[in-house]
Amino acid sequence: MQLSLIGLSHHTAPVEVRERLHFPEKDIPPALHALRERPGVGEALIFSTCNRVEVLARLEDGLEALPLLADFLATTRRVAPESFQSYLYHHSQRDAVRHVFRVAASLDSMVLGEPQVLGQLKAAYATARAVGTVGSVLDEVLTHAFAVAKKVRSETGIAASAVSVSYAAVELARKIFGSLEGRNVFVIGAGKMSELAARHLLHSGAQAIFVTNRTYARAQELATQWGGRAIQFDDLLNHVAQADIILSSTGCPHYIIKKEDGVRFLAERRNRPMFFIDIAVPRDIDPELNSLDNIFVYNIDDLEQVVAANRRVRQQEAVRAEDIVEREVDRLLARLKRLELAPTIVALQEKLHAWRQQELERARLGTLTPEQRAAVEEMSRALVNKILHLQLTQLKRLPQEPDGLKFIEFIRRTFQLKD
Amino acid sequence: MSSLWLWVALGFYSLGLAHALLTVARRRQAWFRSALLAFGLGFIFHFVALVEHGLALGRFPVTNISEATSLFAFLLTLGFLVVYWAYEMTSLSVFAFPVVFVMTLASALSQRPAAVSPLVKASWVPVHVSFALVGYAALILACLAGVMYLIQERELKRHQPHAFYYRLPPLDTIDRLGARALTVGFPFITLGLLIGAVGASGAWGPDWIRDPKVALSFVLWFIYLLLVISRVSAGWRGRRAAVLAILGMVMALASWSANYLSAHHAFLGH
Repeated sequence: MQLSLIGLSHHTAPVEVRERLHFPEKDIPPALHALRERPGVGEALIFSTCNRVEVLARLEDGLEALPLLADFLATTRRVAPESFQSYLYHHSQRDAVRHVFRVAASLDSMVLGEPQVLGQLKAAYATARAVGTVGSVLDEVLTHAFAVAKKVRSETGIAASAVSVSYAAVELARKIFGSLEGRNVFVIGAGKMSELAARHLLHSGAQAIFVTNRTYARAQELATQWGGRAIQFDDLLNHVAQADIILSSTGCPHYIIKKEDGVRFLAERRNRPMFFIDIAVPRDIDPELNSLDNIFVYNIDDLEQVVAANRRVRQQEAVRAEDIVEREVDRLLARLKRLELAPTIVALQEKLHAWRQQELERARLGTLTPEQRAAVEEMSRALVNKILHLQLTQLKRLPQEPDGLKFIEFIRRTFQLKD
Repeated sequence: MSSLWLWVALGFYSLGLAHALLTVARRRQAWFRSALLAFGLGFIFHFVALVEHGLALGRFPVTNISEATSLFAFLLTLGFLVVYWAYEMTSLSVFAFPVVFVMTLASALSQRPAAVSPLVKASWVPVHVSFALVGYAALILACLAGVMYLIQERELKRHQPHAFYYRLPPLDTIDRLGARALTVGFPFITLGLLIGAVGASGAWGPDWIRDPKVALSFVLWFIYLLLVISRVSAGWRGRRAAVLAILGMVMALASWSANYLSAHHAFLGH
C-alpha cells in the first residue's frame, strides 16, 4: 500500500496560485472519477478550500506518486505544471497520515484552532465517499482524523479562547457574568465593529434593550432588528444603569461617560457589575471608570491585548496537540499494518488447512483402505478450498470498500488469526 | 483503631494535594479526575474513621482538638464536593485540597488517648462544637471564594489575562458561591455561639464572657453579621464582600488558635 498526499496551501503558495487550482464543488466528483481511472490509483480524495488544495490517494506500490498526482492536477485544472510545481508539497505514508490529522485538528490552519476546516474536510470526505473513491484505507484515515480533531479540541485549549476582537468581548463578558442569558446590552453608536460584537453577544444569549445613535433613524432601524428600544442620543445617560454590557463606538471627540456617572450607575444598580466595551477612537468611556469596583472597562487596545494572549495560549496548546497527533498516527499505522489484506489471506489459508489436518488426524482413518482414505482427504481439501475461494473473492474486493478494514478485522477475529 | 482509617484517608487526600501542587506548578489542570476520585475515597474513609472513633469512645468525637480538626476537615471535604456537584467548579480544588490535607494531617498527628474533662461531657458541648464547625467549614469556602474572586477580578481589571484568567470561573459564579456559603454558614455559627453562650453561662456562671476565645468569637460573629447585612441591604458584593470574607476567615483562624489560650476551650485543660 502506498498512501500519498500532494497539495499546496497558504503556507506554501500565494493566492494567485491557489485560486487557479481550486476545485469548485461541482467539479470534484468528475475529477475524482478521472483520478480513479488512472492506472494504479486505488482510492482518492480531493480537499479544496480557499486556503488549500490537496489530493490524497492510495496508490499501487512502486508507483511514482508526485508526477502522477501533479499531472492529474495540471490536466483537470488546465494549468501548466510549471506554474505550480514549485509550491507543491508531497507527503507519503506516515507523513501523509500526519498531515491529514494536522489539517483536521486545525494545526495547519491560518488561524490556529479555527473550527471550519474540520467541517470542510468532512464535506470532502462525504463527497468522495458518495462518488465511491473512498475505500478501506482512506475511510480509516479520514474517520480517524475526525476523531483526532475531536480529541485535540477537547483535550487541549487550542480552540478554547477567542482570537478575534468581537469574540474576545463576548468571552470577557462571560468571565464577568457567567451566563449571558438575560443580560442587557446597550449599544451606543452604530458601526460595523459594534454591530458585529453586538450580534455575537445576542447570539450568546444576551438581550439588546437599548440602542442609540447620533442619527436616531439608524438607532431605530437597529433596535427593530435586535428587538430592542431606540433611545435619543442626548438621553442615553438616563438609561445606562439598566444595562449590564455597554458597547460603545461613537465618533464623539470626548468621553461621553465619566467616572461620576459610573458611581451613580453603581448606586442605582446596587453594585451589580457592569462591563463597558469601548471600541471608539477617540475613546467614549473615561478609563477611570475601570478603577471603580464592579465596573470593567475594555478599550480596543485592551481587547487586542486579550486576543494576543489568547493566541499565545493557542500556540502553547498546539505543542500538546502535536503530541496527540503523533501518538494517533502511530496507532492508526499499527492498525493499518495489522489489517493488511495479503497477510490476512495467507493466515486464513494456513489456519483452515491446519484445522483440516487436525480433524483428519482426530478422525482415526486407520481402518479405511488407502483409496478410501485418499478420497476423504481429497474431499476435505476440496471443502476447505471451496470455502477459501468464496472468502478470497470477497476479501479481494475489500480494499475498495469503505468498511473493508472492519470486515478484515471481523475475519481475523472469527478465525482467530494471530496479530 | 480509628487512626488507621484516618491515615488511609490522609493518603488519598495527599493525591489531592499533589494535584493542587502540580496544577499550580504546571499552570494547567493536572489529573483532576483521579484527584477527585481519590478525594471522594478519602472522604469515605474519613467518614469510617469518624464513625469508628465515635463508637469506640461511645460519644460524638468532638471532645479534643484532634477530633474537632478531623471533623472540620471532613466537613470541608463535604463542602467541596457539594460545591463541585452544584457548580462544576474544578478550580476550587486547588485551594480546598491543600487545606483539607493539612487539617487532616494535623488531626492525625495530634491524636492521643482522650481523658475527657467533665465539662465536655455536658450534652450541649458536642452540639455547640458541631454547629460551630459546620459554620466554619462554610465560611472557609466563602473565604476561598473570596480569594478566587480577588484573583479573577485583578486579571480582569488589568486587561492582561494570565493562567488564572483561563482557569478560574466567572466572577459572578464565584460571587454567588461566596454569598451561598455565607447564607449556609452564618445560621450555624450563630446557633453554635448561642448554644455555647447559654450552656457556658449555666456551667461557669458570668465568668464565661472573659474567655479570650469567646471574645474573639463574638468579634468574628460581628464581622459575619456585617457581611450578611451589607450583602443583603447595601448591595455590597464582589470585591468588598470578598475582602470581608477573607478578613472573617483571618478572625476565625485567630479564634481557632485561641483554643490554645482559652481555659474552657482547650477541651482537656492544660
